[in-house]
Amino acid sequence: MDDDREALTARVEALERERRRSFVEAQREADALFAQYQLSQLIASGGSLADLGAAVLSELVRVAGAAAGALWLGDPGGDRLDRVADVGMATSGGHHLILSDDPPQTVLVVWPPDGGALDEDGLRVAQLARHELAVAFAGARLREALEQERQELGAIVEGATDLIVQVDAEGSVVRLNRAGGRLLGIDTGLAVGRSCADVLGCEVAGAHRVEACPLAEVRAGGDPIAYRETVVRGAGGQPVQVAGSYAASAGGESVRATAILRDISAVRALEELREGFVATVSHELRTPLALIRGYAETLLNLELAPDQQRVYLERIDEATRRLTSLVDEVLDVTHLQADPLILERSNTTFDTLVARLRGDLVLGSGAERLRVQAPVDLPPVNVDVARVGQILANLVGNALKYAPDGSDVVLGAAVDADWLVVTIDDEGVGIPEDDQALVTEPFHRAWNVRESRIPGTGLGLFICRRLVEAHGGRLSLGDRPDGRPGTRANFTLPLAPAAAGVAARA
Amino acid sequence: MTHAATTRVARSIDVIDAEAVRAALERCRRVVERHAAYLTRLDAVLGDGDHGDNLVIGFRAVDELLAELPADASPGEVLRAVGHRLVATVGGASGPLYGTAFLEAGARIGDAPAVQVNELAAMVQAAADGLARRGRCAVGDKTILDTLSPAAYGLDAGIAAGDPAATAYGAAVRMAARGMRSTRPLVARRGLAMRLGDRARGHLDPGAVSCLLLLRAIGGG
Repeated sequence: MDDDREALTARVEALERERRRSFVEAQREADALFAQYQLSQLIASGGSLADLGAAVLSELVRVAGAAAGALWLGDPGGDRLDRVADVGMATSGGHHLILSDDPPQTVLVVWPPDGGALDEDGLRVAQLARHELAVAFAGARLREALEQERQELGAIVEGATDLIVQVDAEGSVVRLNRAGGRLLGIDTGLAVGRSCADVLGCEVAGAHRVEACPLAEVRAGGDPIAYRETVVRGAGGQPVQVAGSYAASAGGESVRATAILRDISAVRALEELREGFVATVSHELRTPLALIRGYAETLLNLELAPDQQRVYLERIDEATRRLTSLVDEVLDVTHLQADPLILERSNTTFDTLVARLRGDLVLGSGAERLRVQAPVDLPPVNVDVARVGQILANLVGNALKYAPDGSDVVLGAAVDADWLVVTIDDEGVGIPEDDQALVTEPFHRAWNVRESRIPGTGLGLFICRRLVEAHGGRLSLGDRPDGRPGTRANFTLPLAPAAAGVAARA
Repeated sequence: MTHAATTRVARSIDVIDAEAVRAALERCRRVVERHAAYLTRLDAVLGDGDHGDNLVIGFRAVDELLAELPADASPGEVLRAVGHRLVATVGGASGPLYGTAFLEAGARIGDAPAVQVNELAAMVQAAADGLARRGRCAVGDKTILDTLSPAAYGLDAGIAAGDPAATAYGAAVRMAARGMRSTRPLVARRGLAMRLGDRARGHLDPGAVSCLLLLRAIGGG
């Protein structure tokens, strides 16, 4: 009886032990499952390599019951391992876990706590997840590389000085870079989603009809266009000449097209200017040459009275002078554009400069029309006397040339801070407002001057401006301040250092 | 009716039977339903923004389970079944963690038809231990445990000091609330919020908040 009871008790106890054991076993299994779940959640949460590496490593260290851990990733080339994450203080005798042997290699090392052991269940969890971990890290690394590439490309597009526009299959703008926004005068963000015809305004600007759009052409499967000129609507609504290339990207349904366009209006303007120069210079060269030749032939072929011969020789002399001055100007311009100007500065007075000018003018005509209105005690200036002589001769010469015979040309001067301000007022045809800023550009001549048939190359004022600027001063041309018809030319020259000090104190 | 009855259970009756457990679980469902939006909002900052909704789904499933369970199921049996149901229905990490807590509390009391109210301290402690083991977390990791562990400690201390169960439980909930509030400045060391690093500071842990709500509901509202 007692035996039966004992056996029964033993049996109950064994069952109870078995129940506890299987409960603990179930607990362990559930713990491992949950650890796997948590790890997979972290793995799936993506993010940057650094964030993912740090979070996943902390999780692995905890799961493995480790004191510290480190994670190494092979670089895409497979040449070296980079340590991408660290947790805790590494000691010796770490436990290596190769998560992936295929490149890029992924290696986890965990260090057990002092005097303790690693959690075998936890290590198994890490081992089971090794494939997912390797894939997640490779993915994060790839995302990082792609993101970097995207940023670099974006920087190139945004930093470009050309307009870059990309449109989708429907012709809506997908991207417009900053230079494009500036050229078209629109917010690049607001351009996205609008039709390209609307954003570029090609049709409005008179370039081509919407149906003939080059972007549509390449999108429809046409060959890339290496160079084509067109017109877009500029920031102020004005047409802007542009030229560039067009290409489609990617095939299939979602084919996009990109245009890279450069504003060529400045180039066009320069070309026009050069053409004008060639026409002007050749005309200016031919006229005196024809005169010289005509008079010379007459002198050679006809028996003329001596006084008649003299008149013809004087005409030849005059034409030669014109040719000489033209050649001088062209050479000056070439020189001014090519070399930095070297000035031979010295201190001199306004009176000296005027005396020199009068000397030059005596040789020509109109010296008697020049009136000087300036204070007598002007401080000295520090300038290259010959260069300033050239400026004055040119500006005063212009004034005499473009103003009616007999009208006065007034040369004035005054001190303003460290500068001597020289003014030349005439009663001539004046400079049209639109041309005022342009007349000091090479080869530019105001329209009223061109129409007046007064000879000139359009180089004199450019030379003057460069010479004034070489002295640090500024040259401007505009209307007379007293409201009378005519022009005021105005330029500044630096006062001699001592004089500048005195003027500043005064 | 049940509400009044269980309040008495917690305050004056010294045994916990299956009826009391069922009533407490129903209060749990009501409280998570009431605060679901708040919990989800907290979770949107630190996790994936579904904690409130997940708990509502879980405790509604528990409601259905209670109807299915035999009327004579013991308190331990009810708690274990609830644990299994929560693991199976609540998404995210909170399902397995709360499930574990209920399972372990139920396992602690075996199949007794009723347990002494003093046993409650051991049950909460078993729940906290199980949750810590499963989540591999410790106090200060910004988890449910930051609320549950002080509650277990407070309850144990109160009962050991000879306080009436209701008094001890009230003090334990106050300690749990302090623990819950302590998660605000912490950096998360478990779960998805780990990814945020320092950015997790300044936000309450949604699990710590829901745990306090459940402890209050279990205590009688």
